[in-house]
Amino acid sequence: MNTAPQCVIVAMGLFGVSMGINAAYEKYHGSELSRVPSSQPYLASANAQPATSNPDSGNVSASNSQQDTKVPAPQQIRPASLAPDFEGLTLYPTINKGIRTPFDLWRFYGRGASSYASPVLPMRWEQWAGFHAKQKPGLMQDIYDYMASRFNFNKASIPNAHMSGGKPVMLGPVARLKDSVASFEDLGSLPAAEIRKRDLFPYKPLAHPLQSTAHMVFPQSWIAAHPQHARIDVDHDFPDAYLPEFPPPMFLTTHLELGDVTNGTEVTIDNYYEIFDGLLTPEQMEGLKELLRPSPTTWFNQTTHRVTTAPSKGVACLDCHVNGHTNAAFELGPDSRPNMARLRVDTPTLRGNFNLMQFSSKRSIRSMDHFSEVEEYFDGDPGMQQAIGPRAVKREVSNRMADFNAILDNPPAPKLDPLMQLDPALANASELRGEKLFQGKARCATCHYGPAFVDDYMHDLKAERFYVGRPEGPIKTFPLRGIKDSPPYLHDGRCPTLHDAVEFFNIVLQTKLTKQEKDDLVAYLLCL
Amino acid sequence: MSSTQSSSKPSPVPAQSAGVDLIRIALGLNYFHFGYLKFYPDLSPAELIASYTAQRLSLYWIDAAVTLQIIAVMECAIGCALLFNVGLRWVAPAFFFHMAATFLPLFLLPEVTFKFAPLAPTIEGQYILKNFVLVSAGWVVFAPHLRFLHRRAQSKVCAADVALEPATAAAVSQSPSSQN
Ligand code: HEC
Ligand code: HEC
Repeated sequence: MNTAPQCVIVAMGLFGVSMGINAAYEKYHGSELSRVPSSQPYLASANAQPATSNPDSGNVSASNSQQDTKVPAPQQIRPASLAPDFEGLTLYPTINKGIRTPFDLWRFYGRGASSYASPVLPMRWEQWAGFHAKQKPGLMQDIYDYMASRFNFNKASIPNAHMSGGKPVMLGPVARLKDSVASFEDLGSLPAAEIRKRDLFPYKPLAHPLQSTAHMVFPQSWIAAHPQHARIDVDHDFPDAYLPEFPPPMFLTTHLELGDVTNGTEVTIDNYYEIFDGLLTPEQMEGLKELLRPSPTTWFNQTTHRVTTAPSKGVACLDCHVNGHTNAAFELGPDSRPNMARLRVDTPTLRGNFNLMQFSSKRSIRSMDHFSEVEEYFDGDPGMQQAIGPRAVKREVSNRMADFNAILDNPPAPKLDPLMQLDPALANASELRGEKLFQGKARCATCHYGPAFVDDYMHDLKAERFYVGRPEGPIKTFPLRGIKDSPPYLHDGRCPTLHDAVEFFNIVLQTKLTKQEKDDLVAYLLCL
Repeated sequence: MSSTQSSSKPSPVPAQSAGVDLIRIALGLNYFHFGYLKFYPDLSPAELIASYTAQRLSLYWIDAAVTLQIIAVMECAIGCALLFNVGLRWVAPAFFFHMAATFLPLFLLPEVTFKFAPLAPTIEGQYILKNFVLVSAGWVVFAPHLRFLHRRAQSKVCAADVALEPATAAAVSQSPSSQN
C-alpha cells in the first residue's frame, strides 16, 4: 500500500490523465477522422437561442438593413429542432472489410472513417479465403436463425394463386408478432407511439447479412445454375419459396402473340442470339447483348479484391434482372456512407420500366438510358471502378440497353380492362371488394394509380414512428403492375408476402382494416 | 574469479529494488490509460481487435459497444490497483486472465495479426506479442503477493533447508503478507 502522500499524487495523476483524455475526445469527435458526427454547433445554438437571437426582429432584419456588417454565424439562427436526433441509437461498431456487422443496423448511426475505399484487401488472399471459410458457417446459421425469429417461413401458399410462370404465390402474413399482441388487427389499432414504445413493429428494416463487404448476393436457385458466382463469405438469406420464379417468363411489348419469348429458359450471352434474331431490331439486339455482357464489379472481378473462389469475369445486368425480371438478388443502395448506413435493396423488375419516371429507390434517376449509363457496379465509388476496371459504356451503347429495356412488358393481367379497372365479368366478389378498398378505405390508390399503379413520386413513409431507428427517408413508390411476380416486397424485402405488404401499409397508414378487408386487398393485388 | 554462484550473476545494486516499483507504476499507467480510452467510442486504437475478440468469444451474444465498456472497466480497475499498490493479491488473477485474453487474437484473428503466421506479425500482432514483456513484468510485481508461491517456497525450504545459502533462504521465506 502506498503512503498517504503517494496516494494523493497517484490520484491527482489519474485525474489528470482522465481529464486529458476527455479534453482530447472533445476535440477529436466530430473531426474528419472520427466516426461520431458532431452535434456541437447545434447544441450551442439551442442553448444560445432564447438569450440572443430572435429570427423575426433580431438577426435577420439586422443583416438586411446593414449589409456586410455582423452577419450572424449561420448556426446562431438555427432552431433547436434542426439538431440531430440520435436518441435511442448507438454508434456503428468499428469494423473492417469482411467482419460481421449487426443484423439490426437500423439502430445505429455514425460517420465512416472515409468516403473512399481501397481496392486492396486488408490481408493476403489466402487469409481472406481462410477467414471467410471459418466465419461463413456461423454467420449463415445466425442469419437463418435471425430470419426465422422475424418470419414464420412455413411454406404455405395461397390456393390457386400462381406467378406468371406457375410458381405458387406464398401465403402470409409471415412476419412474427410479439407475444404481447394477439393479432395484426390488435396491432393495427394501437397508436404509433405505443407500438414504438412496446417495440411491437414487425416490419423493421432488413440489413445485408455482411454489411462490411456487402455487395450483390444471389439466391441459391440462381447460384445452382451459375456456381461461379457463389460467394465465399455469405449466401442469400431467404428460403427459395419466397423468391420470384427462376427462370421467369419474358414478355415483349412488340410480340405479345409469343407469350413467354424465352420458352422457359434463362437468356444468356450464349443463347440470346438464337432466341431473338429475327424478333428484335439491331439496336435492341445490341442493347440486349450489353445487358448480358459481364463486367467487373467491386467484389466480382479478376483481382484478389473479390468474394469468389476463382477470379470472376464479373456480373451482367441480367444476372440479377434475370430475363428482364428479377431473381431477388440483393445488394446495398449506393447512395450513402458509411457502408453500414446504406439500405439493403432487392432487385426490382425491369418489366414495365417504360412507364416509370423515377428509377432506383433513392436516386431519382429520370430515364432508363441514364440508368444504364450510371449503373457502374462499384457501389458509387469511381475510384474503385478505376482500379478494378470500368464498365466504360459509351452513351450510344447505354441508350441501346434502354432500347431493349423499353420493350420488356408486364405479365398478362386478363382481369384488367384498358382503364386498369377490374372487369366485373371476370373478377370474383373478393377481388372487386379489394379494388374498392384499394381506391377507398385502404388509401392505396393515393400513391398507386395509373397504368403501372405508381405515382412516380418519392414518399417518406416515416416508418420510424413505429420503432426506434434511423429514419430511412423518402423512397420511390414502386409500381404494383405484375406485383405477384416479384416478392419479397419493399426496397429491402422486409415484407416477404403480399399479405405482409398489406399489413405494413395498414399499420403505417393507420387504416385499421379488418382481416377480411386485408384478404380482399391481397386478392385484388393478385389480379394486377 | 571464483566459481561460486554469486559470480555468475551480477550482484544486486541498491537502485534495483526501485525497479519493481517502476514496473508496477508503468504497468498501472498503461492499464489505466489504455483502459480509460475505451470508455470513449472511437478513441481507442484497439477498439476493433478488442471488441471483435470479445464478440467472437461470446459467439456474438454481446454487443460490441457493451464489450468495450466491460474491458474498459476491467483495465482501469487493474491500473488503479497497480498504481495505488492495493489489493494486488486480488487483482493478480484479473491481470493474468486479461493478459491471456490479449493473446487470443493471434488464434482467433490470425488474418489481422499476422502477415504470415507464426513469425511475421502485422503491427497489431506485434503489439500483442510484446505482451510477453508485460506478462513477465506482471510476474515480477505480482509474485510476492501470491500466497501459493510462498507456500511452495516454504515447503522447498523445509525439504532442502541445508542446500540453500542462508541469505537466499531468508529472502524467500520473508513473507510480504506481513507488510500488507
Ligand atoms: C445486384 C444485381 C444487379 C445487377 C447486376 C444490376 N442491377 Fe439493376 N437493380 C438492382 C437493384 C438492387 C436495384 C434497385 C436499386 C435502388 O433501389 O437504388 C436495381 C435497379 C435498377 C433499375 C431501376 C428500376 C426501378 O424500378 O427503379 C434499372 C432500370 C436497372 N436496375 C437496370 C440495370 C442495368 C441496366 C444493369 C446493368 C448495367 C443492372 N440494372 C444491373 C440490382 C441489379
Ligand atoms: C404514401 C404513398 C403510398 C400509399 C398510400 C401506399 N403505398 Fe405502397 N408503396 C409506397 C412506397 C413509397 C413504396 C416503396 C416503399 C419502400 O420500398 O420502402 C411502396 C411499395 C409498395 C409495395 C411493394 C412494391 C415492391 O415492388 O416491393 C406494395 C406491394 C405496396 N406498396 C402496396 C400498397 C398497398 C396495398 C397500399 C394500400 C394499402 C399501398 N401500397 C399504399 C407508397 C405508398
